Parts: sequence; structure tokens; C-alpha cells
Amino acid sequence: MDTRELVIEVRDLVYTHLRDTPFAVQALKGVDMEVWRGEAVAVLGPTGSGKSTLVQHLNGLLRPQHGRVRVLDYDLSDPNVDVRALRRRVGLVFQFPEAQLFERYVGDDVAFGPRQLGLSREEVRARVREAMEAVGLDFEGFKDRLTFTLSGGEQRRVALAGVLALRPEILILDEPLAGLDPAGRRRLIALLRRLKGERGLTLVLVSHDVDDVVLLADRCFVVADGRTVMAGTPRELFSHPPATLAEFGLRPPSIMTTMHALADRGIPVRRHCLTVDEAADELARALEGG
Amino acid sequence: MESLELRRHVTIGQYVPTGSPLHRMDPRFKLVAFVALVVAVTFTGSYLGNVALLALMGGLILLSRVPARYVLGGLRPALPVLLLLAALQVLLYTPEFTGGEGCVTLFRAWFVHSTTCSVKLAIVSAARFVELLVLTSLLTLTTTTTGLAHGVEHLFAPLQRRFGFPAHELALTLTITLRFVPTFAEELERLIKAQVSRGADMGGASWWRALRRARALLPIMVPLLLGALRRAEMLVLAMEARGYVGGRGRTRLVELRSTPHDAVALLLALLAAAAILTVPWPW
Ligand SMILES: Nc1ncnc2c1ncn2[C@@H]1O[C@H](COP(=O)(O)OP(=O)(O)OP(=O)(O)O)[C@@H](O)[C@H]1O
Ligand SMILES: [Mg+2]
Repeated sequence: MDTRELVIEVRDLVYTHLRDTPFAVQALKGVDMEVWRGEAVAVLGPTGSGKSTLVQHLNGLLRPQHGRVRVLDYDLSDPNVDVRALRRRVGLVFQFPEAQLFERYVGDDVAFGPRQLGLSREEVRARVREAMEAVGLDFEGFKDRLTFTLSGGEQRRVALAGVLALRPEILILDEPLAGLDPAGRRRLIALLRRLKGERGLTLVLVSHDVDDVVLLADRCFVVADGRTVMAGTPRELFSHPPATLAEFGLRPPSIMTTMHALADRGIPVRRHCLTVDEAADELARALEGG
Repeated sequence: MESLELRRHVTIGQYVPTGSPLHRMDPRFKLVAFVALVVAVTFTGSYLGNVALLALMGGLILLSRVPARYVLGGLRPALPVLLLLAALQVLLYTPEFTGGEGCVTLFRAWFVHSTTCSVKLAIVSAARFVELLVLTSLLTLTTTTTGLAHGVEHLFAPLQRRFGFPAHELALTLTITLRFVPTFAEELERLIKAQVSRGADMGGASWWRALRRARALLPIMVPLLLGALRRAEMLVLAMEARGYVGGRGRTRLVELRSTPHDAVALLLALLAAAAILTVPWPW
């Protein structure tokens, strides 16, 4: 029916951490998700719902115990699949940068991926410089800094740079905006939009923050208690009544809450505005009309 | 298919509360019983003696109510090494080396020399390894960190009074060491995940590609050790921030109290150890 390419397909995925031990936790009980090339998809859901477990499947860190995960041309249920090749095309930024960083020096950490690709010294250097500058880290100033003395926000950027340096086709980010200051958030959102627009990257991002999601995502999946419970565009998702959203640990975007309040007071505005710009237009229209 | 979840197979240093009789046992008595059984394992070189010990271990696992599958899962990572070791013992240990009387040569060619003695040595060594692993795992699986620390400290207290032996410090060091085994496994798992997620090669799915695996482990070892040092520093900071001053003048939240049951349990363990050591096992 359409010519878009399906790049990620997750069907009825089930996963138990520490299976066969007394510490086993069933994190996924049946997740479905699909992502088309070039789109930005958000995974939403309450704490502990299985979002991180889900995205770790997408670059083969975890293997499906039941169900199907297909990413690009790789079927991850196949024990002989070349996960190494997959991981070079699908970059995963971990939820906690301190879990992802391991080299002593920032420059070495960012260079780890390109070195695995067997690139020449110059090429590795160029990629590291490019990746660090893309995330707003000055190459000369940061490459010789000790990784573990960086601030949380700086570590987060180094972690992202380390993945960008691989130049992945699909970029998966687990809570990339957590712990950044407002300026850092704006810059990262702008960077992600640019990557998507200019390089045609496919983005999968896990987030708690619906305000960030509406700025970035074309579509959303809501995971609750290890299952996909809702899917759709942000507009479809947030047109559910706030009570339904609250059931899955979500709230409408802040601006939408404001619009609900205005509408409740009899001001003739549409309730379902997702962004501030949209709300401003809507208010202007209402004021002129009134 | 390779799973990166190393922690599934690290049983030493974990604690699994099941409320079993082994969990309820006074840690001092448990420690003495543990030492007695370790001695029995160490000095039992016969087939039948080891069969008895293995049966005893099975009984203890049942008693602990920790799933047997989990306890024995700790063997998995050691399996390749165990097999390799056994093979070397069988093939290369000559009768002079194994020192047994009446060894029958099974196979001999070039430098390879297998006898009934070297086969026995290999089997008995493997059995002992299993027994020791089960014993150590069960000790930590059924005893809390504080329980272990207090137990060790109590047992060495007389030495401290007489000779100023640092019992408290020893107890602390021992328990931190044991408890850090799973932490170390977690850290290793983290590093492997961090590196493979950026395209590193972990030597493929099969353990017999040992060489490739060993090479892939090199870039992991350095951060692993550095990470351990960092963690140790953090631990020191955390302890000092809470005003830790060492053993002198410390009081306890939970005083150890032994019951007649503990004495009976210890007696049984001592009897079992003594019996296994003294019975003249025919082979
Ligand atoms: N490595 C692990 N070992 C054991 N249990 C785990 C592991 N990772 C996650 N879990 C458990 O699996 C469940 C889902 O965890 P997950 O990290 O996927 O949730 P999440 O949706 O990402 O949560 P958050 O929003 O807090 O990041 C939780 O109950 C968690 O305790
Ligand atoms: Mg998470």
C-alpha cells in the first residue's frame, strides 16, 4: 500500500530478566511495535514498565525469549544472526551514561566505535571531532578530560557522541533528555531534528516527558506493565481523556492542560493543541473571532 | 545464542532469603560447620567418599530451599576450564605424579600417559570443585552480609583479646570480598554490554573459540580493574560519611543468639565431616 520501509518490527515480545534464578523479573509480557524508515518514534510509559528492556532488544543486547524482533534485515530470534553488523547500523544510547562509558579519556571513549569499524587514524579522529562537536562538546577542550570526572550532563553528551561516531542508520535513545538543563535540552532536541531531517536517521526515543515527545515524535507507543497499551500519533494519543492517560502514568502536554482549563471556562478554543505555537495560533483565532 | 546476562551464573556472594533452616542457623555455628565440611572435601580423595559428599551437598541444597538449578548454575562459567583441566590431568599425569600404588596404564603414546590413577584424580578433582562451589555458594546464599561479618568477628574474638588480632577488620574484609563477587560480575556485564553495543567483537557464540574471546576480554580488563578501584573509593567515602570507625566500641542492632538447634546442626555437620574423613572407603 505504501513504499515506506519497515525497519523495526516487534511482535509479542516477552522477556524475563535473570531467568531461572530467584531474582527473575518478567519485564516484557507482550510488546508490539513497528517503526518505518525516517520517522521518529517515542516509547512512553511509567517507571519499570519495560521501556529500557524493549529498546535493548533493538540493537541485540538482549535476545527475544519469545516473540519476534526484526531490525533492518536482521531477525534477532535467529541464533546465527550477525548481531555485530546490526549493532554498527543501530546505535543505542543507554539510559545511564555511566553505564555506557568505560574508557579513561573522553576522546578514546568516543573513538571506540569508529576504531571497531577499522577506520584509519585520520578518519577516526575526524569522526570523533564531528560527533563531539555535534553534541556541543569542544573537541580540543574535552578529548583529554577524564571521563569519570565529567558532570552528569557532560557524560550524557559524551555517551551520545560515542554512538553518533558510528554514524548509525537508526538511533535509539533511552531517556536522552533526563538531567539536562533547559539549554541542553533545546540543543539536543534541535540536534535530533537535524539528524532526522538532514541524514534521514530513524529515531526511537524513550521518554517520560510528554512535552519533549510532542516536539520530536511522529508516533508514540505506550508501554505499561510490559505490554503495548496504546499507539498512534501524539495527536491521537493525547486526544484520549486525561483520566485514561493517567491510567498509564501519562499526562497531556502542559499546553494542552492549559487549553483544557480555558475551554472549561467557556473560552471557545480547541482543546487538543500539542505545542505552544499551535496554542498561540488557536488563542489568536479565538480572540479575533470573539 | 549467547546471553550477556552473566549474573545468572554468579551464585557466590548472592543472598537469597527463603527462610529455610539453613538461613535461620546462627552464623557462628554455620561458619564452623562450613569449615569442617571444607576440610572434609579437601582431604577426601576416594570415589565413594566424594559420592557421599556430593549426596550431602544435594541434601544441603534441598534444605536451603534455594532452587538447585540456580545453585548449580554457578558451575556453568567454570565448565570449560574444568573440562580442560580434567583433560590435561587424564592425559599428562604420569604415575610418579599421581603417586598412587597399583596404577593401571590405560593408554600410552609419546608424552601422553593415562592411567587409572590419573583418571581418578581428574574425576575426584572435578567432584571436589563442585562440592566447594556448592558449599561456598550456600554459605552466602543463606547468610546476610552482616550475619557473616558478625560470625567471623565472633569466632576470632578470642584471638583479638589475646594477641590483638584484628578480628573486626578481617571480618569486614572477608565479607566485602564475598559480597563484591556479584558486583564484579555486574560490572563485567556492564562493560561487555557497553562495548558490544558499539560494535565490539566478543568472540561469537561458542566458548570453544577461547582465543578470540580472550583477546576480546583484554580491552575489558583495564576498565574492570579501574572500575573496581573507583568502587572501592566510593565505598570508603560512604563508610566515612556515616562515621565508620572500625570495631572498637561498636554496638550491634541484632545480637547473635544461638539455640539448641544450632548446636545440633553443628554437631551433625561435624559428625558427617568426621565420618567421611575416617571411613576407609574401599575405592
Ligand atoms: N538487568 C536487569 N536485571 C534484572 N531486572 C531488571 C534488569 N533491568 C530491568 N529489570 C527489571 O525489569 C523491569 C523493567 O525495567 P526497565 O528498565 O525495562 O523499565 P523502564 O520502563 O525502562 O523504567 P524507567 O522508566 O524507570 O527507566 C523492572 O521491574 C526492573 O526492575
Ligand atoms: Mg528505563
